[in-house]
Amino acid sequence: MKIVVSIIFLLCMGTPAGYAQAMLDSGAESKIIALERAKLHSSEAKDLGTLDTLLDNAFVYVDAEGKLLNKPQVMAYFLTVSMLQFATETMAVRLHGDTAIVTGQYRMKGVERGKPFVQRNRFVDTWLHKDGQWVAIASLSTPVAD
Amino acid sequence: MGGDCKPLDTRRGLNTRIIPPPSCQSLRIETKFMKLTGLLFIVLCATSTLVPAQHTEAGGTSATIRALERQWVMAQSHNDNRALDLIFDNALVYVEYGKLVSKGEYLSRVKRVSSQSDTIGMEPMTVRTFGNTAIVVGTYREKEVKGGQSTIRHWRYIDTWVYKKSGWVLVAAGAAPLSN
Repeated sequence: MKIVVSIIFLLCMGTPAGYAQAMLDSGAESKIIALERAKLHSSEAKDLGTLDTLLDNAFVYVDAEGKLLNKPQVMAYFLTVSMLQFATETMAVRLHGDTAIVTGQYRMKGVERGKPFVQRNRFVDTWLHKDGQWVAIASLSTPVAD
Repeated sequence: MGGDCKPLDTRRGLNTRIIPPPSCQSLRIETKFMKLTGLLFIVLCATSTLVPAQHTEAGGTSATIRALERQWVMAQSHNDNRALDLIFDNALVYVEYGKLVSKGEYLSRVKRVSSQSDTIGMEPMTVRTFGNTAIVVGTYREKEVKGGQSTIRHWRYIDTWVYKKSGWVLVAAGAAPLSN
């Protein structure tokens, strides 16, 4: 029995908390990347129901022109744009406990008020693990430097 | 485990110390104690890795974050990389002029730029707190002097602060040019 207890003790001490954390982190990272993709797909599809679950009610967005939008304004914006398409170029997640920072680049094209547009932006998104699920609380886009 | 109560084999070579065999009852008590200890360890280990440290702060977070934002600007204008090092998390990501910049890159740029050439005028900001996370949204004007000519740029930014062991640290920041 002493041996069993010793093994448990060694497992607990030896299973580096870092290893367990790394496993949790890698799970959270892939989940957040999936959520980022879901956010883009639901924006393209004007799926406001899904967007509503992904964005926190206090969500704030700064677009590539420096305009500040809240959650209802972001959702309303997607309704005004037709043929919206996103193509993610890069994405990286950094975890800070219950907070995740996602940085990356995307290409966005669509038609707004009859005018086609193409943008290539860099983004910084902040996700928060809240009430058992990840929600986006802030997002900023800025034109990619040439 | 805890089945047969046989005397312990104490034969370990020439210098064997004779230990009297414990009674069957004392063995059972010891086994139960061991089981409980083992379970306690498992529970402790599991909870220590899964439950994050909680931090509660009664008010004042917004004021702290505003003060840190001002300290950041002040430190930058004085090329005070030591102060910036404390304000920035090591994993800081900063998006500036459409480029992704790390903490190291940011600090080395601050070191290079003359404190006289750039001035930053902070404008109103709002702070939203979500437990150990704070989001700051605001605008600032940046005056840059290059070759005797000055240009003023207007930016809107979002900063993300996280409360860690050392206090509030900046983990992400980004700014988009404001079209007037």
